[in-house]
Amino acid sequence: MSQHDVAHHHAGHAHWDTSIWPAIISLGILAWALAFSFHFVYHQSFTALIVFGIGLPMIVGGIAGWTSESMGKGEGLAYGAMGWFILAEAMIFVTFFVYYWYMRLMAPSWPPPGTPQLPVVFPLVMTAVLVTSSVTIHMAEEHMHDGNKAAFLKWLLLTIALGATFLGMSVYEWNHLIHSGFTIATNSFGTTFYSITGLHGSHVVVGLGIFLAGLLPALKGNISESFWRTASLYWHFVDIIWFFVVSQVYFW
Amino acid sequence: MNLKEWIFTTDHKRVGVLYLIGSIAAFIVAGVMALLMRLELSAVGPTITSNPTSYNVWLYAHGAVMILGFQIPALTGFFANYCIPLMIGAKDVAFPRVNALSVWLFYVGIVLALLTFFVPDPPDVMWTGYPPYSTITTGNTALYTFTVLILGFASIIGGVNFLTTIAYMRAPGLTWNKLNIFVWCTLAAFVLQLIFVPVLGTAVTLISMDKYLGTHFFDPTRGGDVLTYQNLFWFYSHPAVYVIFLPFFGVLFEIVATFAKNRVFNYKAVVFGGIGGIVLLAGEVWVHHLYVSGMVDWIRVGQMVTTLLISVPVGLMLIGLVGTLYKGSITFETPMLYALGVLFLFLIGGLTGIPLAVTSLTLHLSDTYYVVGHFHYVMAVAGTFSIFAGVYYWFPKMTGRMYNEFWGKLGFWITFVGTNIVFWTMMDIGVKGMPRRYYDYAHFAQFEPAHKLMTIGAVILGVGFAIALLNWIIGAIKGKPAGNNPWGSMSLEWTTVSPPPHGNWPSPPSVSEEWTPYAYGRR
Repeated sequence: MSQHDVAHHHAGHAHWDTSIWPAIISLGILAWALAFSFHFVYHQSFTALIVFGIGLPMIVGGIAGWTSESMGKGEGLAYGAMGWFILAEAMIFVTFFVYYWYMRLMAPSWPPPGTPQLPVVFPLVMTAVLVTSSVTIHMAEEHMHDGNKAAFLKWLLLTIALGATFLGMSVYEWNHLIHSGFTIATNSFGTTFYSITGLHGSHVVVGLGIFLAGLLPALKGNISESFWRTASLYWHFVDIIWFFVVSQVYFW
Repeated sequence: MNLKEWIFTTDHKRVGVLYLIGSIAAFIVAGVMALLMRLELSAVGPTITSNPTSYNVWLYAHGAVMILGFQIPALTGFFANYCIPLMIGAKDVAFPRVNALSVWLFYVGIVLALLTFFVPDPPDVMWTGYPPYSTITTGNTALYTFTVLILGFASIIGGVNFLTTIAYMRAPGLTWNKLNIFVWCTLAAFVLQLIFVPVLGTAVTLISMDKYLGTHFFDPTRGGDVLTYQNLFWFYSHPAVYVIFLPFFGVLFEIVATFAKNRVFNYKAVVFGGIGGIVLLAGEVWVHHLYVSGMVDWIRVGQMVTTLLISVPVGLMLIGLVGTLYKGSITFETPMLYALGVLFLFLIGGLTGIPLAVTSLTLHLSDTYYVVGHFHYVMAVAGTFSIFAGVYYWFPKMTGRMYNEFWGKLGFWITFVGTNIVFWTMMDIGVKGMPRRYYDYAHFAQFEPAHKLMTIGAVILGVGFAIALLNWIIGAIKGKPAGNNPWGSMSLEWTTVSPPPHGNWPSPPSVSEEWTPYAYGRR
């Protein structure tokens, strides 16, 4: 760049857009990756805890900062983009299910020894809770389109409560099974049972995280249509995946 | 220069340049690993190390870093970022912050990969991480898992970003059938990434779960299955070849059309038959990586057919390139030399792939240096030459300056000679029975002269690349001003100033009815 160009360049465009939040989130993720190695590979759990603790506020704060910086300022293209992201997400579940089907159909006998009787009613209640939350987020969206902010917030909070209830029930269920001696290491069914329900549960956590990240700006009156349409689409995806999980893991 | 505006940038061009710097750094590290391996193999017996594990770590780092740290980020990170918004007349990508997150996660992935050289018990699982070895080794498999996961996540959000950008942010009048071939290629590569990266991410997560959380995915004694990993891994990693192949061919199309001053031959056949055909077939050929791993015969035969079939769309793209040269008024600047070099290397690589697709021949050739020679020709050096061609081609746009043409051409010829010495010799001794991945080859001492020759070739190759890298650095600092469109290209990225400002154009461009990126007089 010649001197003339530099001068022109700076005069015309003194400012280039920046954001520090992507960097902070990335470094938080680096910390978590290192924490895993410290704990599981090098057996230094105290160091692992500290490194994990450094990463946690970076990720949570990074997401909060990002959301408040960008809420409502995008091009409104997030909804279409979420469709592509869901394609990638769906492929993770496809991989787990294909593995599960292959392993199960190749097994000499099923279920493998050590598998307890899984509950029947409990997963049905969980299904009902999650389906209801899909309806309530839809209601919230409807009220948002009508411009009724109070009703939107009410239905949104109800959705978050239902999502949290679902997670709580999952934890209770896992806890119950682990105490009855059925763990992720028991047999090949334990391996797939906990990894598939855990994978789905992690998506519920991410969905709730998206809701909470948008809730803070929303309480201040900053409600972005594009954000909530997109968040709601993701939540419906998590709901639909649960039908596959519950039918394949519990009722087959 | 304001450093903060570079490090925390959300501008697609600066994100692209950050990708370029990171991937070139990865290229240098992985290249040094290759040289270390070549030095080790220059004579029978221990030469520069007496510890076979060191050799395994170099092998791991060379493969993993070259593919995940250099080629994929350079092609889908640097070129996509720098060129796509400029080619479609957009002021930036759809989600600039997500773009910044991609490049930062890429750097995190690079840091994790480089930790290999500093941590106790480094990963020693090659770039493939096959169990059961990866689940019982004392090496740090978690580092491998997280490197892949983080780089994978970076490419998924990058893919989402660019598909949205291409779909919604094209300039007025820039219809789908006026897209640059490079944009089409990258679009297809990102679709492949979105479909297949999650499968790889899952596969590498499962090996760490087996190793550290006590699951039994790949433990046959508890109902698991070892071969499933190989299937999941190659279900991604074969399409990954097309994730590299498609953008690098896109780069070639841009360069060849510009320096032949000609329209792209058979545009529709290239886009729908070539690129579309590859997307359709990419997921149906992975089993040819497992021919000798054990399976029923009918799967082998079916996969042989699909593997051979994929040469049809690839052939359509090659014909498109050669047809673009036909009756063009060709000039031979450095980018064009590299591009034509790729045509030669890719042809050798492609033709030597056919015996590997044929199940009866592959039994003899599998796990020999023939395979190594083949995939280095077809993917490794063809891809790398394309990346170098592209960086030379867009260098004046990025920096506003010109590189040195003499050193550019000299660097090309040195690299080209070195490449053929190394990889032709590999295929030669592979056919004669030299197995791959050996730290020492006392049982194959007759190949020592060939190994010496390859070591010399590798050094020549390294010198050629070093000349190119120095040429860029010196050119960026004190090259002659290049002007906005030194090659006389019709494509949209050359209509703005060099280097383009934030926002790319003062006012958004629009294109006319007759315009295409390749409208060079003769239609």
